[in-house]
Amino acid sequence: MGQAQSDENSIPTTTTTNTPPPSANSPRDSEDTSSPSMDSLLAEAAAYGEDDNENESLEAKAQRALDCPCIADLRNGSCGSQFSEAFLCFLKSTAEEKGSDCVNPFVALQSCINANPDAFSKSVTGDEKETEKKEEQPPVQDHRIIPPLWAKDPPRSGNSKL
Amino acid sequence: MSSRENPSGICKSIPKLISSFVDTFVDYSVSGIFLPQDPSSQNEILQTRFEKPERLVAIGDLHGDLEKSREAFKIAGLIDSSDRWTGGSTMVVQVGDVLDRGGEELKILYFLEKLKREAERAGGKILTMNGNHEIMNIEGDFRYVTKKGLEEFQIWADWYCLGNKMKTLCSGLDKPKDPYEGIPMSFPRMRADCFEGIRARIAALRPDGPIAKRFLTKNQTVAVVGDSVFVHGGLLAEHIEYGLERINEEVRGWINGFKGGRYAPAYCRGGNSVVWLRKFSEEMAHKCDCAALEHALSTIPGVKRMIMGHTIQDAGINGVCNDKAIRIDVGMSKGCADGLPEVLEIRRDSGVRIVTSNPLYKENLYSHVAPDSKTGLGLLVPVPKQVEVKA
Repeated sequence: MGQAQSDENSIPTTTTTNTPPPSANSPRDSEDTSSPSMDSLLAEAAAYGEDDNENESLEAKAQRALDCPCIADLRNGSCGSQFSEAFLCFLKSTAEEKGSDCVNPFVALQSCINANPDAFSKSVTGDEKETEKKEEQPPVQDHRIIPPLWAKDPPRSGNSKL
Repeated sequence: MSSRENPSGICKSIPKLISSFVDTFVDYSVSGIFLPQDPSSQNEILQTRFEKPERLVAIGDLHGDLEKSREAFKIAGLIDSSDRWTGGSTMVVQVGDVLDRGGEELKILYFLEKLKREAERAGGKILTMNGNHEIMNIEGDFRYVTKKGLEEFQIWADWYCLGNKMKTLCSGLDKPKDPYEGIPMSFPRMRADCFEGIRARIAALRPDGPIAKRFLTKNQTVAVVGDSVFVHGGLLAEHIEYGLERINEEVRGWINGFKGGRYAPAYCRGGNSVVWLRKFSEEMAHKCDCAALEHALSTIPGVKRMIMGHTIQDAGINGVCNDKAIRIDVGMSKGCADGLPEVLEIRRDSGVRIVTSNPLYKENLYSHVAPDSKTGLGLLVPVPKQVEVKA
């Protein structure tokens, strides 16, 4: 299935400009003591870790997270390095909108995926559980839909305007 | 216990972290937006009645036109030039019909979601509602879908599926559900080059579909705010008798895929339904059934007006039946009348007025038709204009 083939996928690049000043304009926010969103997700997660070392730097924690075996497949795919950078940045993000300070690595990951649409397909990463055929095995449901006039075949006369 | 090659508790959190990373990445790729955290708790009962806020702004049908949507928020001072909420404690009601007739439907859904969260933090609130076009799309009635509308959903589906693949690679996460499950590969009597877009749209918007579930289940179908009742088409006494809370919950349950199958509850279908009714929004005042309106209003204690979208008012926002019916669909979308954005404002202390970007109503009535007339606060016209003759 041809995913991510359209150029429009990269549209978001143009919207990158306004990097938000962290929570600057929420006037009622002042008495919100906990404001958990200002912590990085990583710090949050680490707080629940069983053998967490309080003094470890965020950077070191993030690196350790990247070494976790369960993401080996993501890390080693053809967009592995872009993934690692984007994920690392996201983990460390302390922005109100998590990840909004990661536009560059996000865009890099997007471009890599656009260039390698199969970057994260199982088969590519050597995992062969892909034996299930890509047909639609579950019964096809009732999907009588009403298409727009312009999508009808054969085209209708009296073309309606869009 | 902790003696693996990576003796860290942090690995236990990785699946959760991957999941939120992937969601953020997909959101950004689809919309260009990073959503702030959602301050509202999930799954709370959909609220139907609200106290009258200090300031209430009502916005009409948006129909896939992001630029006009922005303008509508801007003229009411609700957002700044980078789309951040500046409305403070203002409450906003958008009366539905975000979908169809334009190609930026998802972008508007994201835009509204972001503002909802920002508003919530600032002590404000944004309600979004179901219009007939939301209901139609959930049902697979795509008559008013544009080509761009198919493309945008296709892009969403591609990124969404890619996100699912990434999650699948992370051991420890449940295998995500295939959004296309059960959707046919082709459709009779339809152009083959539309199949993919149509499939994406069905996947996204059918009951329990990811977009329907995420965004549309948060919509009210009816809402009472202070002395105003909001609904997309209109309410008859029988709807009120059926129960406003009940309507909201049932429609939401249907969109969630809990029950009811493909089609919406009966009061959302057909000419006399709450999202289709035009009895109170006919442009010609004399065609409006004021008696039925007054009867309906009298059955909701404390409510003195009904505010509706659905029927384009060429003359702008206006009221009929002694301003008991306020009609706010100005057809602003390029896919409709390309009308000038106007919104309704109700202040607790100073009553009802119209905020417009129409230069005609600007301070200097006859001076200039300024090219910048689209930005900034328009003149506030006192009390809804009574419009009897259509221009």
